[in-house]
Amino acid sequence: MSATMTARPSAASLPRLSAVGILRSEWIKLRSVRSTVWSYAIIVVVSFAIALLLAATIDFDGAAPPAEMQTSIVLQASTFGIYFGQLIVGVLGVLTISGEYSTGMIRSTLTAVPKRLPALAAKALVLFVTTFVVGLISVFGSLLIASPLLAASGVEADYGDGALIGNLLLAALYLALVAVFALGLGTILRSSAGGIAASLGTILLLPTIVSLIAALTQAEWANDLMPYLFANAGTGMYTPSLGGEGLDQGQNTLVVLAWVAVSLVGGALLLKRRDA
Amino acid sequence: MIRAEGLAKRYGSKIAVDDITFTVRPGVVTGFLGPNGAGKSTTMRMIVGLDRPSAGTVTVNGRAYAQHAAPLREVGALLDAKAIHTGRSAYNRLLAMGATHGIGKARVREVIALTGLESVANKRVGGFSLGMGQRLGIAAALLGDPATLILDEPVNGLDPEGVMWVRNLARHLASEGRTIFLSSHLMSEMALTADHLIVLGRGRILADAPVAEILAASTRTSVRLRSPQADRLAALLRGPDVTVTPTEQGALSVTGLTAADIGDAAAGAGIPLHELTPVAASLEEAYMELTQDDVEYHAGGAGPTGRAAGSDPAAATGTGTTEYQEVAR
Repeated sequence: MSATMTARPSAASLPRLSAVGILRSEWIKLRSVRSTVWSYAIIVVVSFAIALLLAATIDFDGAAPPAEMQTSIVLQASTFGIYFGQLIVGVLGVLTISGEYSTGMIRSTLTAVPKRLPALAAKALVLFVTTFVVGLISVFGSLLIASPLLAASGVEADYGDGALIGNLLLAALYLALVAVFALGLGTILRSSAGGIAASLGTILLLPTIVSLIAALTQAEWANDLMPYLFANAGTGMYTPSLGGEGLDQGQNTLVVLAWVAVSLVGGALLLKRRDA
Repeated sequence: MIRAEGLAKRYGSKIAVDDITFTVRPGVVTGFLGPNGAGKSTTMRMIVGLDRPSAGTVTVNGRAYAQHAAPLREVGALLDAKAIHTGRSAYNRLLAMGATHGIGKARVREVIALTGLESVANKRVGGFSLGMGQRLGIAAALLGDPATLILDEPVNGLDPEGVMWVRNLARHLASEGRTIFLSSHLMSEMALTADHLIVLGRGRILADAPVAEILAASTRTSVRLRSPQADRLAALLRGPDVTVTPTEQGALSVTGLTAADIGDAAAGAGIPLHELTPVAASLEEAYMELTQDDVEYHAGGAGPTGRAAGSDPAAATGTGTTEYQEVAR
């Protein structure tokens, strides 16, 4: 039956647009600018340095803290790099696309991928995976550095139920999601300055402003809003709540995902609709 | 083959491209000529889908650009090359673009060699001169070995050698049967490179004809004369190869006769002449005349005399030459 189909051997070897190709293209773009390499390197170096500093200087005057606190201390020492790193990937994610607008590269990108959305999807995926890997290096490297030093001070994490490992994975996941969130903002705003302001404003400034409002006006709504802010939910993602209040880790993860979805879908809709 | 039908682009209340229909054919170099702001770049951007048309359609080889399985193999485009400033090297920029289509290092090196960028291929593009940026843009356009090439002001910023190179490249690629569409605001450049011209002014097509035709028509010399017996003289001069057009009361524009012929004829018939002026239009002038009413940003001074001459495609064939002279005074 299939003998009637005409084989076109040449067509297969000719270049054509493909999903794998678009992913490879975005990977080349990400790795071929210096700012990417520097940003990721800084995250890793600072993570390790802080873990070292924290673990080496922590002092309980000989009395070891309670067991549940011990795991929490190890977690904090291992994830401080994420807390710091979110500011860097918050900038990097924006630059990944705003840089293309400021250099005119976006026109090459969109003439090569005229349907546009595959290009954004590939950008998001490459950025997500790369940042996730960097996040893993940051948290597990920090753990390796901090845990022997902490053990010397009598602080030892409980690896038994796998909760610590799970939280470290969630911390790396959060870092990767921050990058994608920032990519969405960069796509919406198409400008490095505006995108970075929006990104860092959301991560850094928004919690401060809302807590200020809550403190000054005693407004109930401001207090209710706090856990739903991007960065607060992000910290909550990988930090198990000690008390019974607030959102649990799963809920926090959903809140973060919602922020990312709004940013990325908004960016996608505008990218598709606007003139480049 | 590029085909635009009723193509239009509005930015708010401003009309950049106004309902234009044209075909760019394979095998020849088609020049896209017009003053700054005429809508050339907008039209080219619509062809590759960077700008969405407000109305109408434009297809490349029978399909909208975005619908092709291998867009870079259909169309290579150089648009706005001056905007290239990046921390990436020329090599990586081309490699990233080619990767989308599975175009590898070998082809990237090939276009780098073809455009003479070997010595700077690994330098960061941020430090490129305008000419280098232009060469890189052309390299990117050639990357997919496309059947159609769209070049927006390709000779901008190139040295004379580079200009010559682009000219030869365009002609060579056209001779291979490809569709070549290049824009310029310089008539002189187009006269050397293009076979066919589409002239755009204020978003409308003013002329769409082979270069030879536009040349023949617009370089024809005419003679302007004034006489109190203009009607009698007109009747006397008319002949098979002679066109006599009354321009105003007592004034005529004559083509097909020299000033000497007319002077002798008038003297022979005893008709007094008050003015007898040969008017020669150069290529540049013909273009100016064609577009004078459609220039978006006048340098000041002489304003447009009305749209009739400019917007009528017939004017492209040169009959309005004398009017250009009037304006120029």
